[in-house]
Amino acid sequence: MRIVVCVKQVAVLGDEVEFADDALDVDPDYLDFALNEWDSYATEEALRTRESLDADDDEIVVVSVGDPRAENAIRRCLAMGADRAIRVDRSGSADPITLARLLAPVVQREAPDLVFCGVQSSDAVQAATGTALAELLGLPRVAVVTRIEWDPGGARATVHRELEGGLVDVTEVNLPALLTIQTGINQPRYATLRAIKQAEQKEIEVVSPAEGGEPAFRVCRMFVPPREEGAQMLDGGPADIARRIREIIEERLK
Amino acid sequence: MSAATMNGTLVVAEHLQGKLRDVTRELVTAARGLGGPVAIAVIAPDPSQFDVNLEGVDEIVGVPVAQQEFENDVYQQALEALIAERHPDAVLLGFTVNSMGYGPAVAAKLGLGFASDVHGLAREGDAIVATRSFYGGKVDAELEFPAGRAVLLLVRPTAFPPAENGGSAATTQFAVDVQPSRARHLEFQEAPVGDVDITTADFLLSIGRGIGEQEAIPQFEQLAEKLGAILSVSRPLVDAGWMPNARQVGQSGKTVKPKVYLALGISGAVQHLAGMKTSETIIAVNTDPEAAIFKVAHFGAVADLFDVAEELEKLS
Amino acid sequence: MPRDPKYDVLFEPIQLGPKTMKNRFYQIPHCNGFGSEKPLSQAYFRAMKAEGGYGACCTEYCSISPESDDTHRVSARLWDDDDVKNLSVMCEMLHEHGALAAAELWYGGPHAPCMESRSVPRGPSQIPSDFEYLTYAKEMDKDDIREVQQLYVDAAKRAREAGFDIVYVYGSHSYLPQQFLTPYYNKRTDEYGGSLENRARFWRETIEQVREAVGDDTAIAVRMSCDMFMGDAGTQLERDCLPFVELCDEIVDVWDINVSGISEWGEDATPSRFYPSGRLLPWQEAVKKVSKKPVLGVGRFTSPDLMVDAINSGKLDIIATCRPSISDPFLPQKIDEGRLDDIRECIGCNICISRWEIGGPPVICTQNATAGEEYRRGWHPEKFDTAENADNDALVVGAGPAGMECAMILGKRGMRRVHLVEAEEDMGGIMRWIPQLPGLGEWARVVNYRKIQIDKLPNVEFIPGTTLDANGVKEYGAEIVVIATGANWVTDGLNGCTHDTISGADASQPWCLTPEQIMRDGKEVPGGNVLIVDNDGYFMGVSLAEKLASEGKKVTLMTHLGHIAPYMHFTLEAPNQHRKLHKLGVDIVPYHIPTRIEQGAVTATHVYDDEAHEQTWDADAVVLVTQRRSNEALYRELKDRVGFDALEQEGITGCYRIGDCEAPRLIADCVFSGHRLAREIDSDNPEVPKPFIRERRVIERELAVA
Repeated sequence: MRIVVCVKQVAVLGDEVEFADDALDVDPDYLDFALNEWDSYATEEALRTRESLDADDDEIVVVSVGDPRAENAIRRCLAMGADRAIRVDRSGSADPITLARLLAPVVQREAPDLVFCGVQSSDAVQAATGTALAELLGLPRVAVVTRIEWDPGGARATVHRELEGGLVDVTEVNLPALLTIQTGINQPRYATLRAIKQAEQKEIEVVSPAEGGEPAFRVCRMFVPPREEGAQMLDGGPADIARRIREIIEERLK
Repeated sequence: MSAATMNGTLVVAEHLQGKLRDVTRELVTAARGLGGPVAIAVIAPDPSQFDVNLEGVDEIVGVPVAQQEFENDVYQQALEALIAERHPDAVLLGFTVNSMGYGPAVAAKLGLGFASDVHGLAREGDAIVATRSFYGGKVDAELEFPAGRAVLLLVRPTAFPPAENGGSAATTQFAVDVQPSRARHLEFQEAPVGDVDITTADFLLSIGRGIGEQEAIPQFEQLAEKLGAILSVSRPLVDAGWMPNARQVGQSGKTVKPKVYLALGISGAVQHLAGMKTSETIIAVNTDPEAAIFKVAHFGAVADLFDVAEELEKLS
Repeated sequence: MPRDPKYDVLFEPIQLGPKTMKNRFYQIPHCNGFGSEKPLSQAYFRAMKAEGGYGACCTEYCSISPESDDTHRVSARLWDDDDVKNLSVMCEMLHEHGALAAAELWYGGPHAPCMESRSVPRGPSQIPSDFEYLTYAKEMDKDDIREVQQLYVDAAKRAREAGFDIVYVYGSHSYLPQQFLTPYYNKRTDEYGGSLENRARFWRETIEQVREAVGDDTAIAVRMSCDMFMGDAGTQLERDCLPFVELCDEIVDVWDINVSGISEWGEDATPSRFYPSGRLLPWQEAVKKVSKKPVLGVGRFTSPDLMVDAINSGKLDIIATCRPSISDPFLPQKIDEGRLDDIRECIGCNICISRWEIGGPPVICTQNATAGEEYRRGWHPEKFDTAENADNDALVVGAGPAGMECAMILGKRGMRRVHLVEAEEDMGGIMRWIPQLPGLGEWARVVNYRKIQIDKLPNVEFIPGTTLDANGVKEYGAEIVVIATGANWVTDGLNGCTHDTISGADASQPWCLTPEQIMRDGKEVPGGNVLIVDNDGYFMGVSLAEKLASEGKKVTLMTHLGHIAPYMHFTLEAPNQHRKLHKLGVDIVPYHIPTRIEQGAVTATHVYDDEAHEQTWDADAVVLVTQRRSNEALYRELKDRVGFDALEQEGITGCYRIGDCEAPRLIADCVFSGHRLAREIDSDNPEVPKPFIRERRVIERELAVA
């Protein structure tokens, strides 16, 4: 069986930020890069699925859209135990629909039995690429999965979908399917130095991006959100303050 | 009204276990801000079960389907059919787990403009401009969408105030032919109570050195329970061995981003702030008006934390 | 990052007499074991703080005459022109960084045992020292008074010549001028004793004379203890100190305010075990209210917010630090650059002070392995050259103090990849549970600092929850392997007194426990009656005694030594620790070693009883704090069973041991061990420490060849 895991190298912004000249994105000098946290859970889940199903000819393929620097993140997944990796060569950020369009032909070519994506990326937080990709692949999908139980027959799986507030929606999904994986579903394994070194030697297939399609959005301006100086102070005695706090809590937790 | 706003905005109501979710009301407010007619679709066996006759809603579209609870194929098919029929300029969903399961699919299939976790919306001429955050919430950006296409947006809960009751909407029915879902709802389960993971909590009650002594902790454990919060702490309480490291918020503990972070008696050392300053709403209570935490808090009170805690407990 | 404007006040210059200090960071006079006879170690040590942004750095107490010789303890000296030459190096290096240099002119009187000079100290009255019980001073007549005052004047001139900007007439900690002020020391009936005016006379005259000699171009500082906590006999704030300040305010350029005498100066150099930061602020504030001159003082200040508050609320003009400047010489610069999370905070363990108290050794610091090594090993706390073998991957097994430090420094030296692998879920090793002993919460900063730094290092990865055996290490894929697996308290009563186990001691029994079992594993201490066998000599036994007694147990603390926890005398923690144990009703049984332990009873004999009469104590639980043993199993397997040759076949070019798993030692030495290996990882043989510079005179002569 073949599991495709779509991963992303995300950008991490520290406390200081400067924008590029066109004010449409952050100056890359201020960015650090890392494997998207959700994707390490997704990769781990793929590895565990392979281990638990003990399938023949099993293969885990990692696919990512990014520039050569993104290979760091991809190699992390190889070091964890993925077998093969493909990078769709494209630099710069993109909206989730565009990413899905770039991933779809590559994933399709792999004819996967399962596709795992992270629920969201920590930098863009759109939580959309996985579901959009499922649509383009014509696959059934479940988003925000915290547990997977495989049906011995192999035609479907029972998954837990984690709703707001901790409620779990137990869902049965036809296979093959695309699942977006939530953090906490497992404990991602660490790679030894040996595995990291071996991953460095592995060849990553690089493909050109498919043409076409208008982006789903364009950034016209990027800025640091204006912050009011300091907190809005609450007046009155402890009882008034407590009442106001209670109101704020109720409002914000809806 | 310009041609662009003629077709108006379509909101999809979200409900769970027989109750309308609050985000639905907020979507109506957001929709009104775009101008033009506002329609709200209710997808359920008995759409009239949910009262969505809110101020600002012009039309309630009942979409009867067999499934009471959300299934992403059902909602996708229903929405696609609605869009094909009604051609709204904008479709608004909440940025929720349910919407993540179908919103992006619809956008991809129909080639719509799309963005999620939108917390600001405006019209500029005929165009819609949305505001959302990037880079983990540290910066914001204004987005524009492809011309001549509808836009599907997932709107952040609590970004807009909820619309009030008392609308005067017309009600219509819309029939859809829904194919069987490929992902089917079986049942609900309460989440298993495992080890405390403060990084996934929506609401953290956080205490610091200001509580004075170890003996005060049970009082706050109780308060947290009453408020429906998880108790977290700043470093000194862990160093002293009063609480386990799993509860520590800060650079040498965990980074958290709950919807509400209520800090009692925490002054806001740099290492602590690093662990919580991107929380959506920060409320701080401290007797020191110069406490650093007030710089990152959204709401603050200079007061004795025990007094405030006592009052909060009475209200719970 | 830019400086937070909230901290701007710390960077405002201030006038001290004729001198301008560039900011409010002052390294208070404190010892380092170098004196005037290791002049380069001295200079480099002080200059590091100036480089780190301190506006002024002081010598330690600086003897003005062979009559004031504190041997075996190490002071600085300004006895002659050669001392001037030696200390001038310090002044020059400080000036290069824009810092002022201060000399704390000191005359010890009856506290100075003069064991090197064999001179005789002079003092106000002839009563043996409360600090050095064999030392008597010659009781000063008027000629003696003039002569000793002249010693101050001559030393002040030497200080100026050496380049010092500030000279002290130092009295705190019960040295000569303060002895005159204090009835406890001064029983005189002439004009130098009795009334406050009389008791103040010696000090005031000395200040006047020093001021006259050098005061036009040198700032005059006075360091005084406001309250000796000895009741009427000691110096008291309202009765003596504040009037003295008012009396001398005109002739003093800066006040340096302390509390306590010499025999319990832990009330001043407060261990974190007993006091939070800023303990002295009430006294410093009281002085500031009556003085028109700048007031400075210490308080184990590590928090910039506390520092700003002390100044803004009118308690201090200048923030002085001793121990926080040892743990992080670059504290001022880090505040200036908005890098607060890079500050290596003092933990208040007083291990630095203990080295001076012992007399002789150089200063060390639990948090800062480079303290004292600036010159003799050339270590800079913030600068790390890239290792020559940086193109390698390193595996550090064990994330205790040694492992964390080693991984961090290897990371800072540019090692390609460092994996710090730890069996537990968290970093810290023994420092995960030691800070949970009563009062030791601040010691967790050892872990917190390293956690944050390691998190920031892109080439260092922390891998928790992973236990590696020899095979796992062999196959891990590292070229450099460092074993840091720590040590454990023995379960069989093996001890340094008998060099044997104790019959019946078996910590696998429910009634017999080790410190780790209690603190780390949560093993229950059964019953109401506990006996702790403490052969350790430092804090473990007394800390557990305090903890268990606070939980309601009746505790007996037995040691083969004459004192319980003798090392805590050196860390200044002993008096208050004893008070605590006394209050908690802990029974202390010195000079005893158990011969037999069984459920419910401990039998022991007096170590000096040749007839070995046995006595039995009831004990529901027995805690063995007898000794530790290295957890060397992994290292031994790698070296003996697998063999370094086999490791080399796997590409492992070096396999080293650091910290407790080599030999149990102080936490400060574990940190040092990890640091040293990382600093010297690219030497020819990293296992063997490189020679360090010894400042000594070498006689060059022709060797006779037979």
